[in-house]
Amino acid sequence: MNAMIHIDIYRYNPEKDSQPYMQRFDVPWEKTGMKLLDALNYIKWHSDGSLTYRRSCGEGVCGSDGMNINGVNGLACITSIEGLKQPIKVRPLPSMEVIRDLVVDTTHFFDQYRQIKPWLQSKTPTPEHERLQTPDERAELDGSYECILCGCCTTSCPSWWWNGDRFMGPAVLLQADRWMKDSRDEAMGERLDQLEDAFKLYRCHQILNCMEACPKGLNPTAAIGHIKRTLLNRKS
Amino acid sequence: MVNQHRDLGSAHSGFSDWYWQRFSAVVLATLLPAAFVLLWAVYSGVLDQQSLLDYLDSFVSRLLHSLLIVALMVHAYMGLKVMIEDYVHAAMRIFLIALMLVMMGLFGMWWLALIWAWGG
Repeated sequence: MNAMIHIDIYRYNPEKDSQPYMQRFDVPWEKTGMKLLDALNYIKWHSDGSLTYRRSCGEGVCGSDGMNINGVNGLACITSIEGLKQPIKVRPLPSMEVIRDLVVDTTHFFDQYRQIKPWLQSKTPTPEHERLQTPDERAELDGSYECILCGCCTTSCPSWWWNGDRFMGPAVLLQADRWMKDSRDEAMGERLDQLEDAFKLYRCHQILNCMEACPKGLNPTAAIGHIKRTLLNRKS
Repeated sequence: MVNQHRDLGSAHSGFSDWYWQRFSAVVLATLLPAAFVLLWAVYSGVLDQQSLLDYLDSFVSRLLHSLLIVALMVHAYMGLKVMIEDYVHAAMRIFLIALMLVMMGLFGMWWLALIWAWGG
């Protein structure tokens, strides 16, 4: 327990640095089950206050602290130090513009999210009470609704690296599938119309990096496959 | 990626690309083994050259052979098109896809001509 944790962190301050560099920090083991976020907090509070990263809930719900940990995307707050090879290499999410250190610009990612209209669309009159679902209909959303939009999957997808300007990426497509599966939503046709595109949807080549990266254990590739099958059913 | 994304809407072409790639794959998976069986039969001595030509000469063989070539061209075109779209950007993408289409079209027509001109 007295050993030190060695962490190499990607540092970049565009106002000062001409290019990014890796900086070594040594952090004492504070407790068993220590998470990577605890170590980053230790550095920020005791070693170098200028280290910049996003974090909020600290328990894998808000999706703020997505980063590249030893080459794999994940959430720092639920990644145990014990399982990581040292020195731990911590970098910002790949293929996103770095604002500073581990903070990336997510503008484009959330813009793509807005494009799929991630809200309930219905044409029938609003019922007097809430729109009801059977337990089975609700169960259809399992495996989709848990997505916290941390961006770990999308930024691990080579298709998104190459054609991210048009390919929606796994997170957004998982969300699109979530709304198509929702028994209360009545915009299935429009949603399919919007996605039937060689770039928006069909850039997915089942590379499966998204499934590997998802800190919530979801499978965006399966969701994309479901959208493709729905399109197939519509045409055949 | 700070650039504001400009959503151009859907091209409504992705499905047919995807569909034809898979459809041609099914045709290939059905017909290609027949070609390999013939090849094996020749090399193992089960068929001599004349019996092989007899097989290839029949109307049904020519029809299946034509289907195989068409499916092969469609499948190769769709597959390579996807790869070019993945890796090549801007104007070069369209040029390469067009070039590939022309070359594969010519190759496919030449092969079809061979199939149907054979032996009269």
